[in-house]
Amino acid sequence: MATVIPVDEFITDEWYPGFKPAYTHAPWYIDPVQTFRKEDEENFWFLDFHWPRGLTPMGLIWNEDGYNWSSQLAAEQMPLPPGRGITCRLGGTHTYGSALPVNDPREIGQRARRLERSLPPFLQNFDSIWGDLREEVNESWDYFRGVDLSALSLEDLRENLIQARQYHKRAFEIHFQVMYPLLANYVGFYSMCTELGLDPGQIGKFLQGYDTKIMETDRELWRLTNAARAAGLDSVFAAHEADGVRAALAAQGGAASTWLTRFDDFLQVYGWRTEGSCDIALPSWIEDPTPAMGMIKTFLQKDTEHDFEAARNAAVEEREAAVDAARSTLTLEEQKLFDGGLASCRAANFPWWQDDHNYYIDLRISLPMRWACQAIADRVGADHQDDTLYLFWEEIMDVSAGRRPYAGLRDLVEERKQYFDYWLQRRPSLPKVVGTVPESVNDPILIEIFGLNSHFLRAVEAVGSGGEVKTFTGVPASKGTGRGIARVLHNADELHRLSPGEVLVCESTSPNWTPAFAKIAACVCDGGGTLSHAAIVGREYGVPTVTAVGLATMLIADGDEVEVDGTTGRVTVLKRAAAGQAEG
Amino acid sequence: MPDAIAWVDEIAPERAVSVCGAKMGRLAELLEAHVSVPKGFTVTVDAYRRHWAQAGLDELVDAALGGLGPEAGPAEIEAAAQAVRAELTSRDISAELAALIGDAYEELSSRCFEINVPAAVRSSAIGEDSGSASFAGIFDTYLGVSGPDRVLEAVRQCWASLFNVRAVAYRLRVGTHHRDMPMAVGVIELIHARASGVAFSAHPVTGKTDRIVIETSWGWGEAVVQGLVTPDHVEVGKADGRILRYRVAAKNVVSNFDYAIGRVVETAMPARLVDRRVLDDEQIAVVVDAVLAIERHYGYPVDVEWVLDRHRREGEPVCVVQARPVTITAPAADPAPAEWNPAAMAAKYVFRS
Repeated sequence: MATVIPVDEFITDEWYPGFKPAYTHAPWYIDPVQTFRKEDEENFWFLDFHWPRGLTPMGLIWNEDGYNWSSQLAAEQMPLPPGRGITCRLGGTHTYGSALPVNDPREIGQRARRLERSLPPFLQNFDSIWGDLREEVNESWDYFRGVDLSALSLEDLRENLIQARQYHKRAFEIHFQVMYPLLANYVGFYSMCTELGLDPGQIGKFLQGYDTKIMETDRELWRLTNAARAAGLDSVFAAHEADGVRAALAAQGGAASTWLTRFDDFLQVYGWRTEGSCDIALPSWIEDPTPAMGMIKTFLQKDTEHDFEAARNAAVEEREAAVDAARSTLTLEEQKLFDGGLASCRAANFPWWQDDHNYYIDLRISLPMRWACQAIADRVGADHQDDTLYLFWEEIMDVSAGRRPYAGLRDLVEERKQYFDYWLQRRPSLPKVVGTVPESVNDPILIEIFGLNSHFLRAVEAVGSGGEVKTFTGVPASKGTGRGIARVLHNADELHRLSPGEVLVCESTSPNWTPAFAKIAACVCDGGGTLSHAAIVGREYGVPTVTAVGLATMLIADGDEVEVDGTTGRVTVLKRAAAGQAEG
Repeated sequence: MPDAIAWVDEIAPERAVSVCGAKMGRLAELLEAHVSVPKGFTVTVDAYRRHWAQAGLDELVDAALGGLGPEAGPAEIEAAAQAVRAELTSRDISAELAALIGDAYEELSSRCFEINVPAAVRSSAIGEDSGSASFAGIFDTYLGVSGPDRVLEAVRQCWASLFNVRAVAYRLRVGTHHRDMPMAVGVIELIHARASGVAFSAHPVTGKTDRIVIETSWGWGEAVVQGLVTPDHVEVGKADGRILRYRVAAKNVVSNFDYAIGRVVETAMPARLVDRRVLDDEQIAVVVDAVLAIERHYGYPVDVEWVLDRHRREGEPVCVVQARPVTITAPAADPAPAEWNPAAMAAKYVFRS
């Protein structure tokens, strides 16, 4: 019998205090963003890892423009034969996603034939297609960077916010239009390799070692680290928390000031990005450079300088060796297939694009909307710049059009902040999935990005049936075995709790978690495939990593002693923190 | 009785199977395909029929088995089959035929430069290895039989194995008569095996025809064929002969020849051989050569039993003791696409349509 996890605790009509949507405020293609209703229990919903803090009212725009418009539009246009993209439901401030299936076999067949025509030319022309689309994104980015918001009237700010949202929406149309075909090709190649008997742990390596914008950023951060060390600034970093380093350096003057100037130059190029993906509530590094300072602080704690070129060359060598080793086990006929798939996946390289598009889209595309909201907050006399992020789209449209005074919303904003905090506290105990657990999932984004593969689904079922699980299985993402005390972290703010040699257990990681990999013994994630952030960074740092374990953050308690086998994908709890005794 | 004995290297290949039964007849065909096979002769189908007639066995068998219908129970079949076998093994072989077999055996010893050469005596019924009716492993084989009296006794046992319980039950089920599958018996030199094994010219599980799969262990092949030992597993690309995989298994049991009792027996594998790789690249190459030659000769995928003689030197061929059409457990895989096709791969692996 299918495992069903109830949705009752989330059923409500109200999104945030004082807001019930009329479903006219945002477009959707197949299914709108909604709160849960009882009938949603028939479907399968997973807690989205992108927003571990939850989303503010203005942040929910991403769900509307991203999943419920762009992913659905892309899935219909590509088309994805068995699916119409992703929809979502709100559990308080948190997002649960689900795939929209196509059920009619005749329609699935037609869509499959359409895909046969649309996929090959997309892959063959990927370079120029993505080049053009990225250029389009950059052109608008330059436009928004160039606007002096302080010179605009409230009415013009309103217009600017509307433009910024249109830009945001368009960027995610592009995002999903590119992501689906790339992923379909990659997952097809990955599965074929598995069927050819190749080691799944090696497949990710076939496509590594190509430069991306994120690598460029990391390289510059290491250069700044080396410069700080050369200038003898280690002690200043060591003596202060990341958010206090800047003031301390400024106070010191001399070489420290010179270094700060260099740091600011770096920010002007690489600092127009947020820490997490797709969240208007997050500041850029320009606005708050603490994350960048924090990374440099962590890098300085490592004894040796990181040789970026050497690491990159090693990645390339490892790639070529992995390909040669794989080919040697294939017959000539199989080699022909493998070579074709590899060439196709290199020409339209999903792992590479994963990093590249994060830089151009996910990490910065919310910023123009954020700037406009903050400018409107200033103009209408809000207590804080971020207060307008607690308004819904119609509300900020009314306020900026002068149709509704902000003063009347002030109390509501405070109430909503409390609501946000309440749900932030609840996040660690939220169910990772709700509804009916399916046999399998066939949306490539759900399989590869969210790790909703068979391991994940079976783990969810095992827990649902009440079995005591001490060994979990996930995707072997980075080889080797690591053992240590588990630290179960729910967002990057808690990274300071990690001590060297411990095991990081989390829902998933994003670029701001990277520094942690310099000191942990192993990493375990609820979600993610072989190309999730944790998998890539785990391999880069040689940290044994297992992804898609399903419910690791619920089944492993902070302080448990665990062993992580990144080669086989097994995670074992050796000793429970509370019991303090070895378990069977 | 000129047609009672047929030498593997003398019988015309096109007549071989009908005169010598499937197993022995194929050896003659393999010889024609320039594959190395053991020296040996067959006590032919003709000899069997004559013995049958002289001993008046028809009436006996009809009386014992005639009452059994397709629904006969196991106990009933067992009792009837046992009665027939007891009778068969007590009927003397005519002096004439016994002399012919004894002379042929002496000639075989002489061809092998031995006295009372240890031989393999194996059943070789008509139709037993055909693609449709698989009697694989049903009939008897005796390894290491030495001396004319023992050879004669083994021949009689092989004939009797036509009426073992499994064979009788099988014929009742599919509705064939024992007269439709007369039993020839092969007497061939026992190759002193350094290593032996099986080889398939298609993957026995996936059905892929782009490779040769070899399974092998030290000593005689019985432990491998009967599944008593986990053999080393080798896959070789058919198009270029490249070794794709070599999985060394922990081989805990070995089939060896016990001179004291004159039989092949199973014993514990010597510790130093358990984890040692059985075949080197050159040996793999000669097994592959033989398998390819056999597949080319027959024009369909084959399943081959082979032995590496203890005295074989580099460059010499492997000795093939049996070959038959391959039995694949999986249906032939979908015709694999020759070129990468992203939409087809996504359909197959991602969308599962």
